[in-house]
Amino acid sequence: MAAAIVTTPVNKGHQRSPGWRGWLLLSPMVLWLLAFVIVPTGILAVYSFCEPGEGEMVRYAFTTEHYRRIFDPTEGYLKIFGRSLGYAGLTTALCILIGFPVAYYIGRADEARRNRLLILIMVPFWTSFLIRTYAWVNILADEGMMNGLLMYVRVISEPWSLLYTPYAVIIGLVYSYLPFMILPIYGSVEKLDNSLMEAAFDLGAGPVRAFQQVVIPLTRPGIVAGALLVFVPSIAMFAIAELMGGGQVPMLGNVIQNQFLAARNPPFGAALGITLLMLFILALWIAGRKQPAGNVVG
Amino acid sequence: MKTRRFLSVVAAVSAAVVFQPMTVHAQKKPSLNIYCWSEYIPQSVIDGFSRQHKVKVNVENYASNEEMLAKLQTGGSKYDLIQPSEYVVEELVKSGGLEELNTAGLQNLKNLDPKFLKQAHDPENKYSVPWMAGTVGIVFNSQKVKTPITGYGDVFTDALKKRIVVLADAREAVSWALNSLGMPINEINPDSLAKSKEVLAKWLPLVKVYDSDSPKTPLLNGSVDVGIVWSGEASILYKKNKKFSYVLPKEGAHLFIDNLAVPKGAKNKELAEKFIDYVLDPKVAYEVWKEFPYITVNAEARKLMTKDELAIPASNPPADAKLEIFRAIPVETSQQIDKLVTDLKNK
Repeated sequence: MAAAIVTTPVNKGHQRSPGWRGWLLLSPMVLWLLAFVIVPTGILAVYSFCEPGEGEMVRYAFTTEHYRRIFDPTEGYLKIFGRSLGYAGLTTALCILIGFPVAYYIGRADEARRNRLLILIMVPFWTSFLIRTYAWVNILADEGMMNGLLMYVRVISEPWSLLYTPYAVIIGLVYSYLPFMILPIYGSVEKLDNSLMEAAFDLGAGPVRAFQQVVIPLTRPGIVAGALLVFVPSIAMFAIAELMGGGQVPMLGNVIQNQFLAARNPPFGAALGITLLMLFILALWIAGRKQPAGNVVG
Repeated sequence: MKTRRFLSVVAAVSAAVVFQPMTVHAQKKPSLNIYCWSEYIPQSVIDGFSRQHKVKVNVENYASNEEMLAKLQTGGSKYDLIQPSEYVVEELVKSGGLEELNTAGLQNLKNLDPKFLKQAHDPENKYSVPWMAGTVGIVFNSQKVKTPITGYGDVFTDALKKRIVVLADAREAVSWALNSLGMPINEINPDSLAKSKEVLAKWLPLVKVYDSDSPKTPLLNGSVDVGIVWSGEASILYKKNKKFSYVLPKEGAHLFIDNLAVPKGAKNKELAEKFIDYVLDPKVAYEVWKEFPYITVNAEARKLMTKDELAIPASNPPADAKLEIFRAIPVETSQQIDKLVTDLKNK
């Protein structure tokens, strides 16, 4: 790296590789990534091959036992991975279904209205995530606001036990991550050229076909980005499963947290974390592969 | 020139950010670093001590003993005072993780109720002083539950299916199963684990909520009618509404004693001891109890309690209750217990 800095050509205007000033400007981020991403991940990777220790974090003895346990179907961890992926997949699909029309509407609205709507999408972030989740607990509880209202207007006579069920977990996940779907899709919709739509109609495409063959391909980058932003964090989310799902079924995030804070098995937690990281890299790779293909079609 | 200066400022700031943790210890102003349970030491008590001794008190919180142990193992001697439960004191004493206390300097030690002293985890109280005690028992909404509740067998019934909250704590769950089998809760081996697994396989599918942090929430919002919870939570429920009754299971229950102790290598041991002495004062201990109504270990503080307060069942267990404290278990056993409960939930 030092050599690269020294041998940078003097061409100051449009240099491709960053000069020393560039590196200096980048240095906070590089140091940040090094200290808080690269090094911790490295430690995690090392721990995942160690044995659990007595009175210490790990005992430095090489073992692949943790990975064997994860991939052994009789141990049940694959099932937990599958369940977490299922919840994350469903959350992503629902976020696309709900988020796309919203993003499309905002993107097509006139500017003043658009800005007001965008602020509304971001308002929830002004309040802590945990407080918003507790608010949902109060809304969905048996003696909560929703049941109180529904019983008051006599839609139902017995409380509808929605809280502490898988439905509540999905509601919580979709609620929390929906803005992360809307914002990137909005970014794509806003750039959508109206004349392309008109051209599609002129060439005889109906609304469905125009949507399928023009709008979707052109907004695909936004959909893919949104899907990643929703899918990746919802796999490991543990607070919602605990607070709104009652912690009835183990999710990946809860199991990992448990290894460090209750089961006293940090190396196994590390192995689960590294496996999850590999999954994320796989998801990114798949998403990255699709994008150029989409551009070719568009 | 300007840009260069700007860049060097950026570099200096980023270096300061990155290396800050190393330079913090260089400051020399007396301050007490407490690492304690969340929701266990009232802010008024911290402020009172801070004013009286003119020191800064830093508080960090944890939500489980195991979390605290993990931090101690990595964080070195950052903390002056910790708040471990009895089985963790036992483990820390064994591994040499605690400083011996200068008990002669603790003027207020005499206020403590002798029945909480000289327990198996620290037979001479050389390393720890009890902070507060509590039980794990059954709380139920007497307006909804009309059948008599006396033990675990009355909770885990089909009539109460999905109306139950329990602590999200694998060792607790195993101890309830062992109690119901009439087996000692501290003898955890493959055989006793297999037997308790059979019991829990029937019990856990009936549970609606697992929550160790605030098990009172689903009871308060009407989502469940019965719970196996910390006694302090039950006292808070009772204070809010008398319909929440508390019983200690007839099969036997877990008594926990949380303690104050000084981790090995603490920088401000004397200050930590001053804090211990401060909270042993009856008035302070009463203040603590009022905010967190577990079982006070302070006999003099008990004398300050009103008649109504002495009538709160969860804060005043009957003298003949069958109670047992947890003993330290090997790390491997903790892992087996966690696996057992995870497997049952994963069905």
